[in-house]
Amino acid sequence: MFAARLAAGDDRALAEAFDELGPAVHATALQVLRNSAAAQDVVQDVFVDLWCHPQRYDPTLSSLRTYLTLCARHRALDVVRSDLRRAGREERHQRLLPARPEPSPSEEVTDADTAAAVRAAVRSLPPEQRRVVELAYFDGLSYRDVAQRIGIPEGTAKSRVRLALAKLGHLIDRQLLEQS
Amino acid sequence: MTTHTQTPLPAGLRERVLRAARDARAAGRALPETPDISPVEAFSRAADAFAGLLAMLEDGHWPIPVLRDLDVQGLVGHLTGVEDDVQRALAGDPDVARADHVASTQPLAEQQGGRPPEETRRAWRAAAERTVVRVRGRNLDAVVPVHGMRLPLRSLLVVRAFELWTHENDIRRAAAFAATVPDAATLRLMTALAVGMLPVGVARVADDLAPLDVHLVLTGAGGGTWDIALGERSARAVPEVAIVADAVRFCRLVADRIGPAELDAHVIGAAGDAATVLAGAAALALD
Repeated sequence: MFAARLAAGDDRALAEAFDELGPAVHATALQVLRNSAAAQDVVQDVFVDLWCHPQRYDPTLSSLRTYLTLCARHRALDVVRSDLRRAGREERHQRLLPARPEPSPSEEVTDADTAAAVRAAVRSLPPEQRRVVELAYFDGLSYRDVAQRIGIPEGTAKSRVRLALAKLGHLIDRQLLEQS
Repeated sequence: MTTHTQTPLPAGLRERVLRAARDARAAGRALPETPDISPVEAFSRAADAFAGLLAMLEDGHWPIPVLRDLDVQGLVGHLTGVEDDVQRALAGDPDVARADHVASTQPLAEQQGGRPPEETRRAWRAAAERTVVRVRGRNLDAVVPVHGMRLPLRSLLVVRAFELWTHENDIRRAAAFAATVPDAATLRLMTALAVGMLPVGVARVADDLAPLDVHLVLTGAGGGTWDIALGERSARAVPEVAIVADAVRFCRLVADRIGPAELDAHVIGAAGDAATVLAGAAALALD
């Protein structure tokens, strides 16, 4: 009955499932991730997936509680694996970077111009985009840490950074073009 | 589902999750998604299915009593009469607007006795094909008055698909053939039409209905979820009843082929309110 209601587009069934099982799903994700924002993202993914693909839940195989908490555990572990892969990539990248030679006087001038253009462009961003860029690029925080710091979902932090970078690209190109 | 004590959820998470879910998939539409088809196509498919059944019948099936005083052959004659009346209505004949659905077609039904069944079958098929030809390209929002109904053509065609499917299964039952279910796209139009007409049906069985909100969930292919406001609205809080039922069985109820008790519906709310709603659905009698 429950899966059939979800398939019929009955969003009350989803709300009932969330009220009943949301805490268990959240607890499962939090146990793996030890990070509230990341655990909330997992909870969202699990319930959105249940709503969009109710046929994946087979009540003859398991209870809904078992199914959802298993989904949460798998997703949380995926997040951990993804974080580990990213950390490994960054470490390898740092090790493989060639030592940078001392800049020439003309390069120093160019670098200073570029830095000034970047600072000016960042200042011109809307406040909420400027904040995520400063945290991610000047303070070196991960998306997840940025999201946690300013209290927004990780997906929102990512989309704000993407929007900001697109704007910055245009602004910096224009400023450097004007300077040259 | 059982209740377990858990750490309270972070504030706002419930709203965030439910909003994200509704953004990802709109509420109300059933899965798997079915392609939208036109009411003309739905009628055409129902006619094809009916024709398929008639092609399967042997001579011994045609005299079997089916409905009212009609045998199979008489029922097919009745349907030929309905096609004729619909075509007259499309041509603007005012006489069919108030004509009775049964009385108007009874002469043609009775004329079938003694005819070779193949003639009856061919006459119905030709009449149904004429209907399809005449509605193709027409304004589907134009109101067509026929047999006491004034429905937009798009609704009338779905009513006709309802009728053909219902009578196809009347004959199948009489001839001991397995019942059939319309394809999901046709069924979706049928359930949507039945839900849209539900206030009319409820008004037939409850003269003075107090305001009532109905949350209707029809499960299975062609189903969906609807919120229907019945009765006169007022500022006061309106009671609500939620009804969950199988989409095909609900269509059988709307066709008056099963009673509310046979629907096997799951009801949340006052049983009396649900009984009124389901009696109203049966009162539509879309057969």
